[in-house]
Formats: sequence, structure tokens, C-alpha cells
Amino acid sequence: MPIPLIRGLLLLLLCLIAPCAKAEMQKGFRRLLDAVVRIDVREVAFEAGTQRHETSIGSGVIISRDGLVLTNAHVVSPRVVELSVTLSSLESVNASFVGWDHWTDLAVIRIDMAEVARRKLSFSHAEFSDAKEHFSGETVYAVGTPHGLSRTVTRGIISNSNRYFEDNRGVRGYETGSFNTWIQTDAAINPGNSGGPLVDEAGRIVGINARGYVGADNLGFAIPGRIARVIATELTAKGSITRSYIGLVPGALRDLENFYALQTNTGVLVNSVDVGSPAAKAGLRGGDILLTIDGQKVDGRFPEQLPPIQNSIASRPVGSVLKLGIKRGNDTRELSVTTEKLESRVGEEWSFERWGLSVRAVSRAYARENQLPDTRGLLVIGVQQGFPADIAGLQRGDIIVSINQRQLAGLAEAKALHTDFVNKPQPTLVEARRNRSVSLYVLKP
Amino acid sequence: MTLPRPLSRLLPLLCLLLSAPFVRSAAAGIPELWAERCACAVAVEFLVEAETERRENSSFGTVVDKEGLIMLPPVAINLRHTPQQLKQFKVYLPGESEPTDAVYLGVDSLSGCHFVRVGEAARAKLRPVTDFIPEGKVPAVGLTEEVWGLGLRGKEEDFIPYVMMSRIALINRLPQETAIAQQEITAPGLPVFNVRGEFVGIGLSSFGQSYIQFSRTERGGVPVMLVNVEETSAFLTAAESIPQFTRVPGSPFGRPMAWLGAFGLQAVDTEVARFLKLGNQSAAVIGEVLEGSPAEKAGLKERDVIVAINGTPLPRFRPDRSVATHIDRIVDGAKPGEVLTLTVLRDGQRLSMPATLTDSPKLAREASRRYFERLGFTGRECVYSDAILRRAKAAEALGLVAHFVKPGSPAASAGLQQEDWIKEIDGVEIKAPEEAFERLAAIEKDGTRNDFVLLVSRGGDTNILRVKLK
Repeated sequence: MPIPLIRGLLLLLLCLIAPCAKAEMQKGFRRLLDAVVRIDVREVAFEAGTQRHETSIGSGVIISRDGLVLTNAHVVSPRVVELSVTLSSLESVNASFVGWDHWTDLAVIRIDMAEVARRKLSFSHAEFSDAKEHFSGETVYAVGTPHGLSRTVTRGIISNSNRYFEDNRGVRGYETGSFNTWIQTDAAINPGNSGGPLVDEAGRIVGINARGYVGADNLGFAIPGRIARVIATELTAKGSITRSYIGLVPGALRDLENFYALQTNTGVLVNSVDVGSPAAKAGLRGGDILLTIDGQKVDGRFPEQLPPIQNSIASRPVGSVLKLGIKRGNDTRELSVTTEKLESRVGEEWSFERWGLSVRAVSRAYARENQLPDTRGLLVIGVQQGFPADIAGLQRGDIIVSINQRQLAGLAEAKALHTDFVNKPQPTLVEARRNRSVSLYVLKP
Repeated sequence: MTLPRPLSRLLPLLCLLLSAPFVRSAAAGIPELWAERCACAVAVEFLVEAETERRENSSFGTVVDKEGLIMLPPVAINLRHTPQQLKQFKVYLPGESEPTDAVYLGVDSLSGCHFVRVGEAARAKLRPVTDFIPEGKVPAVGLTEEVWGLGLRGKEEDFIPYVMMSRIALINRLPQETAIAQQEITAPGLPVFNVRGEFVGIGLSSFGQSYIQFSRTERGGVPVMLVNVEETSAFLTAAESIPQFTRVPGSPFGRPMAWLGAFGLQAVDTEVARFLKLGNQSAAVIGEVLEGSPAEKAGLKERDVIVAINGTPLPRFRPDRSVATHIDRIVDGAKPGEVLTLTVLRDGQRLSMPATLTDSPKLAREASRRYFERLGFTGRECVYSDAILRRAKAAEALGLVAHFVKPGSPAASAGLQQEDWIKEIDGVEIKAPEEAFERLAAIEKDGTRNDFVLLVSRGGDTNILRVKLK
């Protein structure tokens, strides 16, 4: 049967566009391949009572013409001492650290553009997907350096576009996952894939691959591209992300609405309130229901809904006053909470080489978590065998509160005392807390 | 001095020949002495009745008076069990298969020893060890002295008594005077005698011994520590153990219990003692001064270094850590109302602080408790130590502590864990334990309820737990 003219024309047009779109997609994908890099990292580690250098390999994706590379915070951290990036042309160039954010497991580094120009190297950069949402079943590709095998592409689908998990020590002992959900994929993700992009068929960034389940098959997780894009911009501008903290630990309300006499999809359960936090000072308690933040209704029926709520609090400027609408029993009330700066539980680290002692400053979060009275003191994170700290009996987990009968305010003071010891070695009295007891130790030269 | 070679070879032989008749005469009576003293030792069996299980326990004990009083070692009973959970005490005489009922009297807060009294039927067959203490003189032991003790076989062998013999290798204060023989000489809780048959001490739990374990399949050796739980080479000397015989507690919990409230005492080592210019004495650092305690009222502070009590400098022990036990024993041995003057070092100053001891706050073992079978947990009244251990204020010692959570029960499925601190039931704060017990009992009885909600605190965080009943 002859095809009516109009319909025939349409078909012709479609036939013409389709190969064209296909070609465009292939071009985009090839461009992406040219933007994926291998990252070799050398960094300092303090844990062993001394400073040591460790090396590791990860992946990254170039996201700008001027050589910004997006990767994971667990690939590159502020401890980095040497960074080298291998381009798709197999040429290696130096790079420098720009910033990191362990909460979203993202970091940004910058390729040494002077070296690129001098050596007449070239690369392309990847684009982020503009899609507002991604759906389970979409085809995606993971590109990276699994086990050091550069430019490996694996294919899969999005298994779940809104996966929730938090990990208190997920990024080298730092917290992660409180402020974002994750894209789950069955594209094979192995160690070394970390920091590489998860892309659509046109090579646009859908996510940044971050982790897989150990011992499981094809359960990989990526930070959503829309979040990565925002974090990357802020890291590039400021080197870090400043967030607000109030100390509210939310819980999913799931099935508890009846108990709290609430309508479905109303409110967030306050599971816990950090001791001494702004929320605790404002009078918030575990078991309260958070109904509104600054008049805006919140809905935390399911765990997946919690990170965006947390993020809405965290993205306020530090020192903002939040009005929390609370339901307690049959009462409703409003509490004013002034936000503090969010801190990690992991404080600054240092090694006192002559003592064979590695320490970490006690952060507010660590003090809260361990129910310490204050943030004074230094947490022992390692001792070197046969060195004075080890011989005296100090152990990992001890908190040094004073040296030579002077209470320690911070790391700087301890550094000065260590310098004294190096210059004029003499027995040094260390007072340290372990659980609920205090012990004295003498560090002998 | 050198001796002609043949003579030097002969000398040990000569010594042996000379000493042999002497040793034989001393040892000759031991089987008879042993036979007579077997009646000082008994095996004690009892049941521990917990929420979902009953477990049989047994221990050995020594008869310490003519009225059938038996002293058991501290390890005999786990203090996590309350006296109410201890049931059906039975006493077996060595070599006999028929037991006699006994009554549990309680634990002595100073020594940690437990006491039971056996029924009259068996008393005539028992001999108290006090019969073998020479009048007016507590027998002491010396190095290389030969001592012997009793052992009892297992129940399937009717607790047949046997004898163990060895020589004293070391006498040390840990901080109590402890003698250590070359080999096992008794069982923990059973008596030790000298060759004249005089009582010289009571067996302690044995010390661990280090071994290297080699495997046929793995390379290298694995260091392991082995502890003999049946027999021991260590015993508390007569001078230390005789005073324990009369410390029969007035209540099963061992009250009154003197309390100071200086917590987490840590001994200083010799290096630190030298640094602090303490000379040849010891000291202990206070880890925490407990809220409302006599120590707090006396003005003691955490990190104070105790150097003397009632004017007496703390002696040095080997190992150093024994000084903490030494201080605990001084407190435990005192009576509420007594004053202890502690001398401490603080910021380079020496301060003397008199502390008036009080009776200790209610212990977890003394707290009221109730098991809710359908819900699947035991709630226990929250006491002072529960709050303090969780770094809360004493006034916050309200609510219940989950003493036991039955695996697979509704409470367990909801995520309740042992030692969780339950603060609210169905959104209502717990003010008094009885009220909470009633509330839980009502929930348990109500067949129409689908669920209830607990607010629990764990490690400083709270959690809302929904316990599904249907």
C-alpha cells in the first residue's frame, strides 16, 4: 500500500535524524573517554607513630577546559603530597589538590596546565547530564581504572536512583552520606573505579562512582551528577564546603504516624539529639516530631527522604536561626535553633617522631560521640614500637590531657613541647585518659 | 672454695642421705592428716535460674565453723546473678553421692567470698578448718616449705578427695599475702596445710601460664595463655584468710558496703614515681570522682594522685597495679561513717582531705526487676551506677535498664539490646520503676494491641523503637 505523503515525509525525517542522533551520541561518548583520567596519589599517613607515605590509584573525570578533575574524597584528600594524572593519551602530568568534601565523597584537583601547554598535550572535558531525574533501568556506563587497568568501560543499568545509606566512618574514618542519596548501578565497579564517572549513552555524567558492596555482585554506588556538579563548583571556588549543624538525628516515621497521631507524610521523627548541640540547647528531645523548618513542612516517612531534609538544614549559613515546628505528645511548639559549623569527628593529625606517637586533635563531634567533657586533649592514633611512647605504655585510643603537668589546649602546644624534647631530651610526664581512668606515663629520652 | 672432685660429687648424695630420714618422718603422717582434713572440704551445687534457662553450677568450698558455715571463692558465683536467681544449694561431702540442702547467706563485700550454711544433717560429718589452727598462733609459711592440699574429683566420681603436695616457691603481696607453690596444691576455695597438718591458707584462682601453641598446618607458633580452673598453685596465706571466715554478710548483698566514690584508680609505675619524687612508695591516680560521693564531698578531684591514706604512704607492690586493689580493700574493709584521710598531689601541692565514708548507693543487683515474657525482655530499675556509667547525672537515674532481651522476641526484633536504657514507654516518661512495670504488664496483657513504642538511650544517643506485637 502506498504510504500517504505526509506520513512518508515524517518517516523520512525520522530516518535522517536517528543516525544523526546516534552519531552525536557516539561522538559524545568518545569525548567522554578522552576526559577520563587515572590518578596516582602519594600521601602522608600518621597512624603508625611516625609519618609514612602511601600510594594509591583512582580515577577521575576532567570537567573543565582549564583542567579541573572531579574524583572521590577517598581517592584524594588534604594529606596528598604528590598527584599525577594520566590522560587518555597515556601521557602523565602533575596535578594539585583543590579541595575535598568527605560528606559527599567528592574531591577536585587541577591539572598543571603550564605543563600541558609546554608538552603540547590535549584532553577533552565531560559534560554533566541535564536530566532532572534518572530512572531505574536506564543504561549507564562506568569508566575508570579498576585495579589499575586504565580506560576500562563497563556497562549496566541504573538499579535504583535514590538509594539511602550513611556511613559514620565511610571515607577513611570520616563521615559520609548524611546529605545525599546515591545512584545504585549494576555496571561493574571495582577498586580503582573510584572517582570515575558513571555516564549515559551520550557520555554525559550521571554520577561519580564511589563504592561497591564487598562480596556482592554488581552492587555499585555513585554520587548523583546533579549533586557532584554543585559541590565541584563550590570546592573549586572555596576549597571546602561549609555546612550548618544543629545536632538533630532524624529517623524515618514509617508506620509510627498512628502512634504520634499524625497524618501520613507529615513530619520527621527526632530519633536522637546530640548532647550539648544547638538543638539540645534549644530543648529538642528524642521522640519529638519535627513538623516544619522555618514554616516549610517536612516529610520524612522513609529513610530516602532524610538526606534532603538534612541537607536543607546543612545548607543554611552558619549561625542562622532556624524555627523548628515541633510536636511533643499533644503539644505543638516552635523552637529557635542557631546553627553551628558542622565538624567531622576526625580532627587534625600529627606525628611526634621522637616520641613515636601519632595523635589527632579531639573534635567537638568526637567528644560528643565519646561523651567526653570537652575537646581538650589529643587522641592517640598510633605508637611506634620500641619508641618512648610505646615503652611508657601509651596505647591507641588514649587521650593525652597534659604534658609535664600542663593541660594541653591543642596540638600547637604539644608540638612546642615535642620540639623542646628534641632539643633537650629529658624525661617528660604525660597524663592520659583511657575510658574512665587517668594514667601517668614518663617518656624517656 | 674448691673441694677434691670425688668429694664434690659425693656431697649432694651425702646431703640426700642425711636429709632423707628427716623428710620421711615429717611426711609419714600426711595420709592420716589428709584423711582427717578431708571433712574440711565440700562441693557445692546450685541452680541459676535466669529468664529462659536454668543452669547448674558448682564450686568447692571450705568449712569454716562448727555450725556448717561454708566459704566459697569469689569466682563461685557471677555477681550479675541476683540472690533471688540462685536456687537449690546442695552440699556434697567428699566421696559421697547424697547431698544435703544448704542456704545461701550472701557475699562479703571485702573478700568477695560467698557463704552458705549446710543443713544440720551433714554438720556432724564436717570439720571446720579452724580446728587445725594452733591456738594463739597463726601458722606462717616459708620459702621451700612443703605444703599440701585437697582436691576433689568430679560429681561422676562422687567428689572423691585426693591429695596434692609441693613446696613454696614465692611469697608476694598482691596486695594480700599470697604464697605460690611449685605445682598445683589445691583447688580454688579449698584449704592448704603444712606437714604438721596446720591450716596455712585457702586456694586462689590459678594464675594463667603462657604457652606457645604450634599447629601442624599453620606456620609459626601462637602465644596462648592457659588457666587451670580445677587446681591451683597459689593460695592466700592463713593470716589473710582467717579474718575472712567471720565476715559473714548480714544480707545476701553484703551490706553495709563502705563507699568512697573515687573511681578508675590507676597505679603509677616506678618511672612516674621517680619523676614525682615519691621515693620507694607507690601512688594511684583518680580517674573520676563520682557525683555526690564522699570523695566529692571531701574535695577530691579527678587526676589527683593519692600518695597516702590516714598518714600512711602507699606501699610499693609488685606489680605496681596492686596498689589500686590495696586502696579498694582499705575502703571495703572500713565501715560507713568512718573517716579516711587521703593525701593527694595536685598541681605540685600536697593536700590532705578527710572523707567520711557512706554506705554505697543501691547496686544493680539490688534493683527491682521484672521479666515480660510476651514482650521478650527484663526491665530493671535504673540505679545510681547505671546513670553514672552512662555519664548521666545521678538525678537522671530514672527509667529501666534492659537487663535481658530474649532472642527473636518482639523486643529483640524492634532492636532492643541488653543494657539499653529505656526512658519512655508509649511517649510517657518513666518516673518510678513500679509504674513502668505496671505499664508494661498492662501492654503485655492487652491482646488487642498491635504495637507499643519505647524511647531508649544507648551510648548517649536515643532511639525510638516500635515493638510489634502482632
